[in-house]
Amino acid sequence: MTTAAPEVRVALNRITKRFARVTANDKVSMTIEAGEIHALLGENGAGKSTLMQILYGLYQADEGEIVVDGKAVTFRDPGDAIACGIGMVHQEFMLVQPMTVVENVILGLKESASGVLRLKAAAARLQALSDKHGLAIDPWAQVQHLSVGVQQRVEILKLLYRDAQVLILDEPTAVLTPKEKEGLFATLKSLCAEGRSVVIVTHKLYEIMAIARRVSVMRAGKMVETVAVADTSETDLARRMVGRDVVLRVEKSPCQPGRTVLHVDNIAVRDESGQQKIWRASLKVAAGEILGIAGVEGNGQSELASALLNLMPIEAGRIVLEGEDISAATPAQRRQKGIGFIPADRREVGAFISLSLEDNAMLGSQRSFTKSKGWLLDRLKIARHAKEIISRFDVRTPDAQFEAGKLSGGNLQKLILGREVMQKPKLLVVEQPTRGLDVGAVEAVWKGLLDARDNGCAIVLISAELEEIINLSDRIAVMYNGQIAGEVEAAKATPALLSELMAGGSLNNAEQQHDQVA
Amino acid sequence: MTKWLERRLSPAQSPTALALTSGGGILAAFIVSGLLFLPFGGNPLTAYGFLFSEAFGSSRGFGLSLVQATPLILIALATVVIWRAGLGYIGFEGCFLVGAAAASWIALSGTPQGLPWKLPVEVYWPVVLIVTFIAGALWAGWVGALRVRFGGNDVLISLMANYVAIFLVQYLVSGPMRAPGDLPQTPRLPHETWLPLVISGIKTHWGIAIAAIATLFTCWLMRSTPAGYEIALAGLNPKAARYGGVDVARRQMSAVYLGGGFAALAGLCAVLGVQHRLMDGLSGGVGFIGLVIALLARLNPLMVIPTAILYGGLEVGGSAMQRQTGLPTSVVLILQSLVVLLILAGDILRYYRLRLPVRKATPDTLVEKES
Repeated sequence: MTTAAPEVRVALNRITKRFARVTANDKVSMTIEAGEIHALLGENGAGKSTLMQILYGLYQADEGEIVVDGKAVTFRDPGDAIACGIGMVHQEFMLVQPMTVVENVILGLKESASGVLRLKAAAARLQALSDKHGLAIDPWAQVQHLSVGVQQRVEILKLLYRDAQVLILDEPTAVLTPKEKEGLFATLKSLCAEGRSVVIVTHKLYEIMAIARRVSVMRAGKMVETVAVADTSETDLARRMVGRDVVLRVEKSPCQPGRTVLHVDNIAVRDESGQQKIWRASLKVAAGEILGIAGVEGNGQSELASALLNLMPIEAGRIVLEGEDISAATPAQRRQKGIGFIPADRREVGAFISLSLEDNAMLGSQRSFTKSKGWLLDRLKIARHAKEIISRFDVRTPDAQFEAGKLSGGNLQKLILGREVMQKPKLLVVEQPTRGLDVGAVEAVWKGLLDARDNGCAIVLISAELEEIINLSDRIAVMYNGQIAGEVEAAKATPALLSELMAGGSLNNAEQQHDQVA
Repeated sequence: MTKWLERRLSPAQSPTALALTSGGGILAAFIVSGLLFLPFGGNPLTAYGFLFSEAFGSSRGFGLSLVQATPLILIALATVVIWRAGLGYIGFEGCFLVGAAAASWIALSGTPQGLPWKLPVEVYWPVVLIVTFIAGALWAGWVGALRVRFGGNDVLISLMANYVAIFLVQYLVSGPMRAPGDLPQTPRLPHETWLPLVISGIKTHWGIAIAAIATLFTCWLMRSTPAGYEIALAGLNPKAARYGGVDVARRQMSAVYLGGGFAALAGLCAVLGVQHRLMDGLSGGVGFIGLVIALLARLNPLMVIPTAILYGGLEVGGSAMQRQTGLPTSVVLILQSLVVLLILAGDILRYYRLRLPVRKATPDTLVEKES
């Protein structure tokens, strides 16, 4: 599209890729210039990952050409792409966990003719590269002991060691804490300063605004437009991506809290390896209220969710649902007493991906879709129920017999949300409800949660996205290191205040009500 | 050539695709084995003619095939139930032997003639069926409990438990239950305790009805009951099942009890229907063949019956063919193994779609069409 731009490093010309009867890329053209951060934006299934996998040599285009530094090339496999200076960091890292960083980096390279492994020389070069870009990596550390953010830096180092000029990052910030995110952005900027190009595949708008120079928007397999970030805005990009206006701020009615539904009284939880994950946490949630739990991931939020449904036992304390102590109740009993749960891992925990939508629609309440005194499943009733979820929550699927795993993330999440909400729970525990979803699906999930709240359901919303917490919650509790670091009214919460609590600060500097720091 | 085949993202799941690939695998196995007959001077076509007319052509032969298929069906069903619950239990030889021993013990508990304890017939059959079922359920149950409660390796423990059961039967037939004489075996069971023949003159006994009822029960359980749904959930993903309110340990244990009971009934059919006495070496690997049948049927209880009858027919017809043509005995074994191997290998074809550039070329029988 833009041809006059100086120093085009990679040009994709009219790439078409078909999978069976689906056209994933339809005559897509895109250019990547030297020294720029280029964002590739699109909803799930828009074809952005396919395009990048073609550029990385994992797939071959049916039509169209790839031009690198002015020469047309064909990539039969990723090895060819790396030889042309194109490298990719996948969403799931490709690292051998028990090996050291340096071993991982040189894995697959055949650089010495003698066949002797020269680890020390490689480590020295690695250290130099790491220092230059401020990556702070110890070449001799074992990968399994490194945090996710550091592992991502190892993946980037792997590409730099191979002298990649074009780095493709697929959803690089999905797994990072806010602080790690800043570090990553700084690294990417320093790479661009050297003249390397970075392509970020993402659907997070505000990140694009923060670091990218140009952004290409894809929709339904086609390239919509490539624009300079300076000439656009978040709402403009969202509209281009979805093809219609999207409300990024939600309208919500004033909260009308009823009586207390959930009372978590000083609980403590240890994980399987014996580490203390939650220590003396207390919470109260009322009917018709959303309590947001903010915090950097790994500070006990997901353990809190597991404890509420007894997927993880509590060590001490009590969990009280509507005045009844349910600390000893099994997951099945808790579901019967009216707790719904939308887990963070929708493919592995929230749904059975190899079963049909119908079979997934009755999960958790299989005992109530029966006839003959509970001995037989009532297939008619189940089918009706599945259809109702599909139409009420706009799950886009060919039919109710469709395999749930073949739904896109957003539609699967709508199915799970619908299933849990339709059971009319007294308490709904929601964990990372919109992770990895595109804007349209986020909107639908948010609306579903607010509707449930307005119908008198108490909701515990655990999310790593501050935007989501601030938009949806009526009250916000911040978890830090397994404890509730503080609780604030949503009206008084600002990103700055929450960030400080998330980083371990206390509430003393703000004039708040009850201080719950234990 | 490569243009004709297009790789699918996920395998074709339609019944047509499954039937085509499986049928193609069987056909290929017969063709390859037929080539092996040639060096021995055998004509593959006449040999296969013998095989099929012997196994399926006459009511007598088909009856024999059904007799062979009966224990295979029951053990395959046991595999379906236990494996669907997420265990890797392979101790069906053991369950089979324990069931055979239990049934023989009941049958021998009377006088040399007549039913044990002078029970009326309508009481004897429920008693022997239930006791055998419980014996098998308990035998599988202790292995299952080690896995489900304590996290033991069920594959290894169940395999080893087979040897324990073999020695147990050896002890019984050479010690407490031994008949006078040279061979380590029990006395012949009283005629009244045998499984009666369905039609006199044909060797098929009522064990085939036990197998059919067990099949219907398994289908009904897995498809239309909440218990079956929960067993499948526990096997697919225990974590998600727990989230869905399933007591995973309880469901897995009930599947193990049921499977162990089914395998024990296979043992009952062998002693009360065919051998009419307990002896060493009774099982002869039937526990593992049943497992293979279940895999060929892709853990689908309805598919178990045709698969087992086909396999039973290959055994009956194969040995007749070998006697008639004078081919080496190993030829039958090769044919059976090839059938299993090529049906399983045929799965790879389901990942491809055939694209004929021009319709005049005859389609390759092994490659399934667009379904």
